[in-house]
Amino acid sequence: MDRRTFLGITAATAVMPKRLLQMNGYPLNLETPLELLTDYLTPNDLFFVRSHWIPRMPDLKTWRLTVDGEVKKPLKLSLADLKKMPLAETTCVLQCAGNGRGLQNPPMPGVQWRYGAVGNALWRGVRVKDVLDRAGVNAGAAHLHTFGSDDPPGKVPPFQRSIEMEKSLDDCILAWEMNGVPLPPQHGAPLRLIVPGWAGDHWMKWLVRLSPQKAPQSGFYMDTAYRWPLNPGAPGVAFKPEEMKPLTELAVKSNITTAPKAVTMRGIYDIRGFAFSGAPDIAKVEISDDNGATWKAAQLDARHSPHAWRLWHYRWTPAKPGRATLLARATDSRGATQPRETVWNQSGYLFNGWHSVDIEVKA
Amino acid sequence: MTWLLLAILAALPMPGTQFKQLPDSKGKAEIEHACYTCHSPDLLAQQRLTPKQWTATVEKMMRWGAELKESDKQVAIDYLSRHFGPENRFTPTATTPMK
Repeated sequence: MDRRTFLGITAATAVMPKRLLQMNGYPLNLETPLELLTDYLTPNDLFFVRSHWIPRMPDLKTWRLTVDGEVKKPLKLSLADLKKMPLAETTCVLQCAGNGRGLQNPPMPGVQWRYGAVGNALWRGVRVKDVLDRAGVNAGAAHLHTFGSDDPPGKVPPFQRSIEMEKSLDDCILAWEMNGVPLPPQHGAPLRLIVPGWAGDHWMKWLVRLSPQKAPQSGFYMDTAYRWPLNPGAPGVAFKPEEMKPLTELAVKSNITTAPKAVTMRGIYDIRGFAFSGAPDIAKVEISDDNGATWKAAQLDARHSPHAWRLWHYRWTPAKPGRATLLARATDSRGATQPRETVWNQSGYLFNGWHSVDIEVKA
Repeated sequence: MTWLLLAILAALPMPGTQFKQLPDSKGKAEIEHACYTCHSPDLLAQQRLTPKQWTATVEKMMRWGAELKESDKQVAIDYLSRHFGPENRFTPTATTPMK
C-alpha cells in the first residue's frame, strides 16, 4: 500500500464514530446496537459483520466463479461475465443464525450476540438460476454446494454449506452490490450468495465455487452445526443428531428499537421497531403493556418486498404511573406468531422470544 | 492492487483496534498460546460456560489443532471456568468498520 492510501484510511477511520460492537476482533464479528436499526435499509457501515475465518481476498483480475459438479458445461466466470447477464435485485433481511444466543438460558458457547446480528439491505447481482441454466444442471442434482475463499487454519473444518436446489433456483441471487455500492469486503466481496428468508449461514461470503450435487454437503457445518430440533425439548438438554434437521428459514421475530426511558401520564409516545420472518411478509405486529393479557396493533410501514423486514410504529398512552413493560410480538403472512419463550437449542440459534422494554411512568 | 489491500484491511482489525485483556491468573499464558491463533481475546471474554461446557469446548479445539499440551489441559479449563463462568458479564468494545 502506498503512503497516501494508508493515510487516507487512517484519516477516514479517525473521524468515523465508533458505533458497532466488537464481538470478536479477528475473525471480524461486529454487532449493531439495536437502537441504531431504525432504517428500512440498514446502512453498510452499520451492518453487522459475521466471519468464520480471516478471508483470503482475491485479485479481481484473476478472480473467477467456478461452476462444476453435476452440470453439462462447467464454467469459470469473471465478474464482467456475470455483469453481462440479466440484472436481478432483492431487498431482504440478513440475520445470523446465532443472533440472540447471548440471551439464551442456560448459556452455550459461541459468539454471544444479543439483538443486532441482523439488518435489511438491497442486494443486486444475478439470479443463481440464470448462472446454473448456462451450465445446464443434470437431472437428479438436488443440492447446490457452495464454497467461499476463506480458509481455516490447521485441522479446523472449512465453512462449506449446501442448500436445496429448489430454493437456489427460486429466488437466490449472487450479489456484487449492497445498498447501491460495490459489496464491501467484510460482507463478502466480490460475490456473495443471497438466500432470502433463510439464516445467514447459507449466505456464503467471498463466493468462489458453486457445485450442484445429488447429495447434501457433509462436514461439521452441515452435520453438527446449524441444525434445529424437530420438536422442542427441555432447556439445557442437548438433542441427539437424529432429533434435529438442518436449520433453514428464519423464525418470526420483532424487536423494539425506539422507546423513551421515562415518560409522564400526560403524553402519547412513539414506539418503533422492525419485524421479519422466514415467511415472505409480516401480517401484524402487536404491543402489550399488561404482560401479554391484551394486545393492540402497531402500524406497519408500507415499504416492503418479499423477505424484507417491516418497520412499525405504535402510539402508546401510559395507563398508570410506575414501571411499564412494553412487549412486541409479530405474526407472519403464514400465520406463525412469535412465542413468549424461544425454542431452546444447544447452539442458541434463532432466538425469537418476545422483546420487552421497561419505561418509567411519572404521574 | 489497492482494492486488494483495502479488502485485506477491512477483514482484519482496524488500526488501533482494542481487544479485551484477559485477567492475570494461572493458565493465562497457556490460553493465550492456544487460542490467539484463531480468536481474539474478545471471544473468550464473552463466554458464560460451566466447567463441563469449557471441558467440551477445550477438547473440541484441541481436536481442531489448538496448541495445548495434554498436561496443560486442566490448567486451561480451570482458568476459563474461573473467569468466564455462567455469571460472567461482557460489554463489547465500540468499534468502527470500513464503509
